[in-house]
Amino acid sequence: MISFKMSPHQIQVKEVVHWFAENEMRPISLASDQHKRVPDEWLENINQLGIQLSTSSFGDSDSTSEESDQTEKRKKSERQGNRLAVIAAEELGWGDPAIALTLPGPGLGGPPVQASGTPEQKRRFMSIFSRDEPPRWGAYALTEPEAGSDVSGLKTTAVKTNGGYILNGQKVFITNGARASWVVVFATVDQKSGRAGHRAFVVEKGTPGFSCTRLADKMGLRASETAELLLEDCFVPEENLLGGESYYEEKSAGHTGFRVAMQTFDNTRPIIAAMATGIARAAFEYTLDFVQHEYPKHGRSFHTASTILAKAQQEIDASRLLTWEAAWKADMGKPNAKEAAMCKSFSGTISLGVCSRCLEVLGPDGVEGHLVEKLYRDAKIFDIFEGTNQIQHLIIARHLYEPLGVRI
Amino acid sequence: MISFQPTVDEIAFRNLARNFAKEKLRPLARDFEEKRQVSDEISRGINELGFSALELPADWDGLELPLISQVQIVEALSAGDLGGVQGFRGPGEAASLFRLVPAHPLFNKIKKTTREKTWPAVAFLNGNKPNHSSSLRLELQSSGGGYLLNGTSRPLRMAKYAGYLLVGLKDTTGEQLLIWLEDHGQWRLLEGDYRLGLLASGFSKIQFHDTVITDEQVLAKGHEAKVLLSQMLTRTRVLEAAKEVGAMEAALDHAAVYTAQRKAFGQEIAKFQGVSFTLADMSIKTQAARHLVWQSALKVDDRDPEGEAASQSALQFAHQSLRFVTDCAVQLLGGHGYVQDFPVEKWMRDAQAQIIFTEGESELLLDHGERLIVGEERGGLHDFIQNVAASNPG
Repeated sequence: MISFKMSPHQIQVKEVVHWFAENEMRPISLASDQHKRVPDEWLENINQLGIQLSTSSFGDSDSTSEESDQTEKRKKSERQGNRLAVIAAEELGWGDPAIALTLPGPGLGGPPVQASGTPEQKRRFMSIFSRDEPPRWGAYALTEPEAGSDVSGLKTTAVKTNGGYILNGQKVFITNGARASWVVVFATVDQKSGRAGHRAFVVEKGTPGFSCTRLADKMGLRASETAELLLEDCFVPEENLLGGESYYEEKSAGHTGFRVAMQTFDNTRPIIAAMATGIARAAFEYTLDFVQHEYPKHGRSFHTASTILAKAQQEIDASRLLTWEAAWKADMGKPNAKEAAMCKSFSGTISLGVCSRCLEVLGPDGVEGHLVEKLYRDAKIFDIFEGTNQIQHLIIARHLYEPLGVRI
Repeated sequence: MISFQPTVDEIAFRNLARNFAKEKLRPLARDFEEKRQVSDEISRGINELGFSALELPADWDGLELPLISQVQIVEALSAGDLGGVQGFRGPGEAASLFRLVPAHPLFNKIKKTTREKTWPAVAFLNGNKPNHSSSLRLELQSSGGGYLLNGTSRPLRMAKYAGYLLVGLKDTTGEQLLIWLEDHGQWRLLEGDYRLGLLASGFSKIQFHDTVITDEQVLAKGHEAKVLLSQMLTRTRVLEAAKEVGAMEAALDHAAVYTAQRKAFGQEIAKFQGVSFTLADMSIKTQAARHLVWQSALKVDDRDPEGEAASQSALQFAHQSLRFVTDCAVQLLGGHGYVQDFPVEKWMRDAQAQIIFTEGESELLLDHGERLIVGEERGGLHDFIQNVAASNPG
């Protein structure tokens, strides 16, 4: 039965995360943007409260392998982890997307470990995130200076050696890349074999030959750390190859690092879309409140603001529903690559548009010390990371033409 | 729990509608347009399969389906041909009013004919819509125990075939009235030269000259009329938006198939990103429009106070997307899209006509936005409408 009503559990998650966003994130939002970092003390306190950013931390597929095994046994219809995750992510995006991305936890590195890791790897890498320990992070390193959207162009190499692999290459735009305890790094064992040669490794902090060379200054998301990583003759033991050798040897199963990377996106794109929706909603609510208190209730300005705000609310609703659909499909165990791309594409576009038009309503006042100016700068990246809007279009088009026998 | 899974019954009914649309409506679409009406055979099929009775109350022998079920069926039908669907003779928008006040005594006659499956056409004149033409003015003047109605309406769908006329209009004092007319002699048709689209929909202006409206012909007045009209329009907006999603789906599918086969520069044009990205945009807009329609349907079914605003939002987005998607379909077919060998040029014309003859994008946005900013105490409307329905003398 079609229903857009949240269950009591979903409502509870939304309310709890919203409370956190409003009372913990918002008060430090503008200052964190100004200082380009989230205060360490704040992160420690948050970690002690057990609040982490994990793409699965709000859902059913929780961190330990035992629990995951339990989850697998549940009926598909009972799964709601992806829906819970997007509900929570919208609230975190509403609070502050840069701080949300800085919350301790496995971050975008979590899904590939969960999806492709061996039980031992899941236990080893996911168990470090605990409220009883100092805050820790995971990260996901796919993009390179010359290979972003075109993943097949990866240049980071992994050469098999005794007991492991030697990695060489450079990674850019890596969220939490410097502070992460481990990073899922994608590399190729054979550039000539294209995607089939891709592998995913977990590279641990402090590994000789693995370093952060720069933290990038950005238009927005300034409180979020964006690192450039260098791998110089970096030895990674074979037990850190995600899934182990046997995972890739089953060629009939089609396992490649590329597939690991793409499956990750199917899970994470709805979450990114939800955060973008939250950003748009934050700008909308802020501007609506401003207009209600500052604008006359008649005349040209009022009518202009009315139509802008109505359009904003409409686009936010549509964005949320596209995102929920992608998450629902994932919960049902159905392929959701097209829907994940659709919600990512739509939300990235409307988030920036809503922020832009809200700034227009606020006028010149809006650029001085108002939240919406920051949201506008933050929103743009949601049109770019986790696959640019153009890549989302490509994915959608592929799925539209596939049944018609055309491969694009 | 959030779910996008239709029920088994909805899937079955939707599939029935899809087959009818594909096998009956689509092949005859050009014929309907040329003859300016939907054939009797198709009308019979529509009625026999129950598609005319989706919104009608159960004690009218209607199906009284929730809107969330109706929108899926209506979308499937419209994917066959929007022009054909808008040419079905039947209660039209008035079905939603019958649903709201099924026992009103003024509806006894049409209720009887409907139960006898003769399906008379009803035209709806919403005199409250903004009117920018000085020649199209309606004046309702209080006179004696009733009113005098003068003037000319804008072109109305189904006016040409209507046996009944539902009029929503304010009198000269500004009081809202809902009027039910069932005597052809009370109005005159002013047929015109329509070429844009929805040409099988029986468009005509209606002219009144000192038409006497008795108190017995007034369904409701004042606040009661305003609320009924508002509730009726809320339901019809959702259904019209669903039809528009169906038309988008048709254009999207056709453009996908064509561009997958058409070759230029030695390869399928689908392989050019200017083409494939456009198709992706069409797909996103169609899906987003569908979700907003579903959301508004669910809200109205749940008597959510935000149902009216959701219906305005859904219809405005559907309008905008329909214009975009049908235009893109023509563009992707190039010259073939412009000539009548393919259906997309018709769908683009139908789309524009559909947008014009329902509520306009700007007014929908403005109304929605004003509600957002100023707010409105709408909580009582649902209770009120229930009281109207429950206390009706019929």
